Amino acid sequence: MLNDPVRPAAGARIPVKLHRRVCLVQTEDAVLAEELMARKKLAQDIVGRLTDRVLLVRPGRVESVVQELQKMGHTPQVRSQ
Amino acid sequence: MPVVDPAFWSNLQRQTLECYDEPLLRQVAARLVKPRNQWPVEDLIERGVAITDNPVVIDRRLQELTPAARQVLALIGHSRQPCWNLGNLVEMTIALGQSDGLLPVLALLEAGLLYPRLECGLPTPRADSPRGASTKIKSFEQWMAVPGPLGLLVFTPPQIAVRAIGEDFGLPDLSESERTAGVSGLVQAPTSPLTPAVRPASIREADGLEWLLRLAVLWQQVADAALRRTQQGGFFKRDFERLQQDALLNAPPADHLTDVPDMAFLIIVLAELEGMVEEVEGELRSGSLPSSWEKNVAAALESLWVDLPRLSQWNPLDGWRGGETPAGNPFPSAYLLAFLLLARLPEDAWVRPDAVQTWIFEQHPYWTSESLRPSRQRPWMETFLLGMAYQLRLVQAMRDEDSVWRVRLSPTGRWLLGLGETPNLETVHTQTLLVQPNLQILAYRQGLTSSLIARLTQFAAWENLGAACTLQLQPETVYRALEAGQSFDSIRLTLEQHGTRSMPPAVLDSLRTWSNKRDRITVYPSATLLEFGSAEDLNEALARGLPAVRLSDRLAVVASEETIEFRHFRLAGTRDYALPPEKCVSVEADGVTLSVDLARSDLMLETEVPRFAELIGGSPANGRRQYRLTPESLSAGRSVGMTLTALETWFLQRAGQSLPPAARLLMTAGQGEAPQLRRHLVLHVTDEELADGLMQWPQTRELIAERLGPTALAVAEENAEMLRERLREAGITLVGDPE
Repeated sequence: MLNDPVRPAAGARIPVKLHRRVCLVQTEDAVLAEELMARKKLAQDIVGRLTDRVLLVRPGRVESVVQELQKMGHTPQVRSQ
Repeated sequence: MPVVDPAFWSNLQRQTLECYDEPLLRQVAARLVKPRNQWPVEDLIERGVAITDNPVVIDRRLQELTPAARQVLALIGHSRQPCWNLGNLVEMTIALGQSDGLLPVLALLEAGLLYPRLECGLPTPRADSPRGASTKIKSFEQWMAVPGPLGLLVFTPPQIAVRAIGEDFGLPDLSESERTAGVSGLVQAPTSPLTPAVRPASIREADGLEWLLRLAVLWQQVADAALRRTQQGGFFKRDFERLQQDALLNAPPADHLTDVPDMAFLIIVLAELEGMVEEVEGELRSGSLPSSWEKNVAAALESLWVDLPRLSQWNPLDGWRGGETPAGNPFPSAYLLAFLLLARLPEDAWVRPDAVQTWIFEQHPYWTSESLRPSRQRPWMETFLLGMAYQLRLVQAMRDEDSVWRVRLSPTGRWLLGLGETPNLETVHTQTLLVQPNLQILAYRQGLTSSLIARLTQFAAWENLGAACTLQLQPETVYRALEAGQSFDSIRLTLEQHGTRSMPPAVLDSLRTWSNKRDRITVYPSATLLEFGSAEDLNEALARGLPAVRLSDRLAVVASEETIEFRHFRLAGTRDYALPPEKCVSVEADGVTLSVDLARSDLMLETEVPRFAELIGGSPANGRRQYRLTPESLSAGRSVGMTLTALETWFLQRAGQSLPPAARLLMTAGQGEAPQLRRHLVLHVTDEELADGLMQWPQTRELIAERLGPTALAVAEENAEMLRERLREAGITLVGDPE
């Protein structure tokens, strides 16, 4: 995790750590995230929870996650752009 | 292939000229550019490309050509397809009366007005190869000797071809020929007047939507389930039968004049040429709907017209070719000649398709000889003109007094051949949809446009094609439209704009429910996550206009990194999750304590480890955070899908070592056979050789449970006395009493 005790002055550059090409699933609420984690097929492709509403997906498994979500009756919004 | 983009062809022309060997380039440039002195090669190429956009010079160069060479360019111009198979051009030249069909084509290549498509011929030279390398074309004869996998293709920039339109082909007026000479061969001479008094109501012209609708149906079907291809280019049996028996794709058109063989497969071929379906890993998957559909019907028909010379997997004589690559495909040249013959008819004259076919059979080199068996001289022109071309709105049809179909070019056909003004094909009826409470849409055909077909195709499933088509709104189709960029409002607007009545509230409710449901889960397939040091930093970044979605107090996500203005940020580190995971975990000697190097760790690790290990202590010390594997933590990991294989892989990737035995023990505990606690006596012998002997001698081997070490053997208590006896027989006295 990023720990930078120096606060950026006004207009100064803000320190940030970039995580590129991350696969995420964001849910409307925490209960829905729990529901997804409880699905065995999805759990295999989910690495873990970033927050109570955000799940981290294993790289390269996003297509099967979307398919499984659709099988569950969800209509996930895929934001590739 | 962007056939209408002149810049694409100019660029291709430049690349092709760069592949010419210098002597050949100078030879071509001498005809095209006419340099007055020795210009550098680069200048010659640039001047050659620039001339393409200069109509005055092009007209001058055309006048220097033979009529036969000008005819070749005119043929390409009429077709609007800049890229042709060389064989087809030769066939047309011969059909037009040239004894050597190759000569005019060669003349054009040498004049710099026609170019070889090199992807299919010689390999393209490497960027770093010196000019004049051996991969360059030294002569056009050399290029012709090495045809690529798709055969010999040539192209001319459309700016050149269009200047040649108007060249006389010397084609006969077939209505005149019918009158004076009758028709030989397969066709009977007509007995009726050749320009019959036609009542306007009896002239039939299609609306041009038939193929668009069927393409839309196919696109939906492929979007639902991809079609699997064989290595030969055909389809697997299940998909083949699915296409062959499809009621919607194979149904006769509403305005049906004649049958078209293998209609569903024709649609597949057209869809591939239009880019609506794409082959990916042996499967045909849906692509995007053609952009020409968004313009108007004329643009959509133009796009299909341009596809005709590239139609190789289907023809009106054999139907679907089963994915085989034909050795020769004379049909594209015959199609164009047929249209040019129709264009030659006087105004108000009609001709029987048979008459056109007879001319083709007599003049086209493929059909003039009868050497092939089974005979190729079987009728197909009626199928093409009344089946395919009619539905493309290229020809008009009427029945003569003998009830035989006659055809002539339609205004659309004349325009596509470059012989007339753009026809107005736009409909005046905009209210053409009837949305019913049961989510069914009735679409009256007279009000349909190509752009409306495209929009309907995205959010409703076609169920019936006829004078009035029916579609069904479904959650899946609406979802597909939302994924393609439409919104609840755009769908509603389309239905309301084109609806004959107001939309039923139940339909609106369903659309709203389906749209809202989609907002419950958002998937970012390849996002960029920004991790800030504090909540204040994240707030500051958002205040400076970072177009990100906040995920937590320190995390925000952007769908695409291109939207980030990096001048506001100082990168404290980057991780790329498409790369293999970094090794940042060390395993302590106990095999269950994991020490994570925070400087090298990533989100993946930090969310993954807590699923099967417990955090030790609160804040990290020395830039390291420690976790411990416990029976409870691993049990929790197993309950959320963690397997032994996954754990082994994780240790290899993250710790660079195999799973420690202690970790394996905790992971697999209770899964194998239960261990047994048994009482044994240990026989200690003086040396290893004696132990070997006892293990080998059958009399003692059966009494020894197992060898514990070089000189220690385990013996079951009940066998102790028997072993003592056997050893005595061997002359060994056992010392010591287990009691």
